[in-house]
Amino acid sequence: MFERFTTPARESVQRAQEEARELRHPSLGTEHLLLGVARVDGPAAQALASHGLTASLLRSRVLVLTEDGLDPDALATVGIDLEQVRQATEAHLGPGALNKQRPPVKSGHLPLTKHAKKALELSLREALHLKSGEIGTGHLLLGLLREGEGLAVRVLAESRVDLDALRADVTALMADRAA
Amino acid sequence: MSEGTQLADEASSTDPAVGLRAVRALRELAERLEAGHVAKAREQGWSWQDIAACIGVSRQAVHKKYGDAAGGRRRILSREK
Repeated sequence: MFERFTTPARESVQRAQEEARELRHPSLGTEHLLLGVARVDGPAAQALASHGLTASLLRSRVLVLTEDGLDPDALATVGIDLEQVRQATEAHLGPGALNKQRPPVKSGHLPLTKHAKKALELSLREALHLKSGEIGTGHLLLGLLREGEGLAVRVLAESRVDLDALRADVTALMADRAA
Repeated sequence: MSEGTQLADEASSTDPAVGLRAVRALRELAERLEAGHVAKAREQGWSWQDIAACIGVSRQAVHKKYGDAAGGRRRILSREK
């Protein structure tokens, strides 16, 4: 699957592995691939940046969606402000004190989730469609957008990104580079 | 107005789902707080007996949940996975 990947695209997948490992997630999902392409210079990172999305911003959104699991809206219905609880707790117990404790992940490559596999397959299809012999970071981003059901798209949607505009931007950036 | 109070107002307060979701959220929050404070107390040299007395459970219960054996089991399980 990775034979046709450009060097930056391979690097993105490496970064995605690192992200998943640091977050102590057991598998490699679309959200990690999104962080991966955001961290490697290329059309995907450029397009994301033009929508105000940096790797660190995206990482904090991923954390909220995955690591946390606490339910601020439900707590507010009984008058509890989770942010205040978090601040008070972190003052006593240190940063991240309310985060879920996860066991460290074993070494070696993390397996891809179903959504991530699908997104990679779709990135190949996007590359073929755009008549590119190689899969670059831009095609990876297009694959993530096309897959549409993974956490990557949820993170983007919750960041109120116009997905069609992002798709158009990254396609245009790739065309510029090819020209 | 926060999303939460809105949620409470919109779904009338008689809707059990709102209250039940809050209970679940509170339980999860309490678990996280407990784990953090128990770990801190152990770091400061507290006995299981003293910790148990403070949170109102038996010494055995708190030890089983947070003691070395629980940690050891978790480590073994995560290695086997």
